[in-house]
Amino acid sequence: MTRVSAPCTSVCSSFKDMNNHGPKAKSHSGEAEGPNGDWSWVLVGALFISTGLVFGLMRIMGIFFVEFVNYFEESSQSISWITSISLATQQFFSPVATALCNAYETRAVVMTGGFLSGLGLIAASQATCLVHLYLSMGVITGLGWALVFTPMMATVVANISQRRALALGLGLSSIGIFSFTLSPLFQLLVEMYTWRGALLIMGGLSLNIMVCGALIRPQWCSKALKKVDSKPRSSCATVLRRVSSYLELPVLLERPYLTYTATITIFNAGYFVPYVHLVALSRMTGFSEYQAAFIMSATGVTDILGRVTTGWFSDLGYFRTIHLLSLWVVLAGLFIILLPVSSLTGSYAALMAISLLYGFCSGALSSLVFAVMPMIVGVERVMGALGLLQLIESGAGLLGAPLSGLLKDMTGNYTVSFIVAGSFLIVGTLIMTTLPHYFSRTDPPPPHRVPHDVKDRGVHLELEHINNSPSDTSPKGAQ
Amino acid sequence: MQSIRVTVQLENDKYTLRQVFKIVSKENLGSYSCSFGDEAKADFLLAGPQIGEVRDKPIVSYVGDSVVVKCKMDEKKPKPASWNWYKANGTDKEQIFYAAEPQKYEIKNHEWVTKLVVHKLTEGDSGFYYCEGVYAVSTTMGHVELKVITFLEPLKPFIAIIVEVIVLVAAILIYEKSQSKKNSAGGNETNADQTNTPTPGDNNGPEESSSTRQRKV
Repeated sequence: MTRVSAPCTSVCSSFKDMNNHGPKAKSHSGEAEGPNGDWSWVLVGALFISTGLVFGLMRIMGIFFVEFVNYFEESSQSISWITSISLATQQFFSPVATALCNAYETRAVVMTGGFLSGLGLIAASQATCLVHLYLSMGVITGLGWALVFTPMMATVVANISQRRALALGLGLSSIGIFSFTLSPLFQLLVEMYTWRGALLIMGGLSLNIMVCGALIRPQWCSKALKKVDSKPRSSCATVLRRVSSYLELPVLLERPYLTYTATITIFNAGYFVPYVHLVALSRMTGFSEYQAAFIMSATGVTDILGRVTTGWFSDLGYFRTIHLLSLWVVLAGLFIILLPVSSLTGSYAALMAISLLYGFCSGALSSLVFAVMPMIVGVERVMGALGLLQLIESGAGLLGAPLSGLLKDMTGNYTVSFIVAGSFLIVGTLIMTTLPHYFSRTDPPPPHRVPHDVKDRGVHLELEHINNSPSDTSPKGAQ
Repeated sequence: MQSIRVTVQLENDKYTLRQVFKIVSKENLGSYSCSFGDEAKADFLLAGPQIGEVRDKPIVSYVGDSVVVKCKMDEKKPKPASWNWYKANGTDKEQIFYAAEPQKYEIKNHEWVTKLVVHKLTEGDSGFYYCEGVYAVSTTMGHVELKVITFLEPLKPFIAIIVEVIVLVAAILIYEKSQSKKNSAGGNETNADQTNTPTPGDNNGPEESSSTRQRKV
């Protein structure tokens, strides 16, 4: 018997049909194969490409850095705002993106996002002053990315219940792979066509996200259908209630979600620190620019490895995903603390070894973070929950790196800032242990949303029955 | 080749030869050598400072845009008294005069660095540019290549990518439409629940059938 990870209650019954009658698609406006069918893996491929085109491109924006500094004759601080603005916009508008997906079709949202991100970069290629870059490359592209990343993540998380962690790991591995391979390509493009031409081509490449969006079949039943109101639409309270349900605001009132969000936010404060400061730490220890850059590249490779292998391992079912997540986070925290310690020994091999281990753990934890979400809020609400999570954790991400920079300025070296960053991760894990059912050996039933409008109690009971069958990997998950 | 003969006395078991040359003009530069009979010889090459780093890749810019061409002298060496800029014209070099065309060219000199700003680029501005650092006794020349391209150049790969995106999106949507047509044509047997005509008002009907459906699970 295939599992039912049923997102819909009332109108979308044919969705459950697919599991009863095998993987063949049912008709009705492009119903796809079941949650564990072939189309899910097409979605993973779409996630791979779109995530690479979002965060991979964000990472190689640094190539344009020197060009902008020379052309616009501005300080490097003003230029680095471009990347900060685009990242902040992406995270800030995530809940808006997921709300739009709840209200309308995910496909339309993602395709619009792809269009906007391409448009922003194309507009940036015509920029004549720095503010143009802030608005185009920063705001418009960031907004486009917001409409792409979280919806795609949520779609994959909701559509795959078997091998979820592996699918996420594969999908997210593209960040490292794209930044690694596109980096020399864009160096070449900048040399051939200057930054204007390179940005134009980058914008064109970003439009490929629209192709990924087109692959999302409208099987995700929109909440608009569920939220049936016979009241007149124009009532203010109704509109507010609708908006709040699209944004999944009620989820903020639940303790498990709050706990989990707090945990991830604290992770974020410490997790980025090595990426920002590792090169500086290596240079401070006395290694050359190339050696420091090589450490970063090698860390990037183990990051990719970590994402994929942890996904595969987690899906084997020997341990609960949340326990594995805690393990990787604690290890990552430990390695972050060990980084300055190993640099104190002055040995390149030691620093390299710890960095590789850190890279593996940080890659491992970043894909599991998303895989755990459906167990906290239930599959129906993953879309909105992820959007809110992105917004809340962005604050910590923004504060984390400057905080560690401040600590370094105060103490003169990176030891304290890395220790603080590592301890954020460990403290976060301790908070995560307060999640309900943390210490049980099997996954608890994920919560399901109590539909407001369903007057039929019978359906409600049916849903409970369905959700109580394990909907995720449990030890020796038998089906 | 001039020759100077000097007699040297033995001091502390060593014969030391020291000669002062006044370098007044370019003619005083060149190779000098001193020899002690057949037993010792030393060669010296006196030259003016040379521009060390020369950018080997051309600077690229667009028609209508302005570009900065830069020449730098190593800061460990003395800074030039002045700079000149030349544009290659066939095999000749034509000097660029600041005053002659102030809208077109701007020369900014600052100690070890000289910048030539060229405005309103045209394709004819492509080619080699030479910067000459002038010292009292010597000059040194560096070169940079400028390439001016039109916006059509990057536009070609861009259009190719756009076409690819449109083709793929259309293919995916058409494929999906054809799939759903096939399914709706063939798969109507078990479609008792196909009351999914999304008339949102209709709650109870589909719910009843969905609850029966779920019981089968």
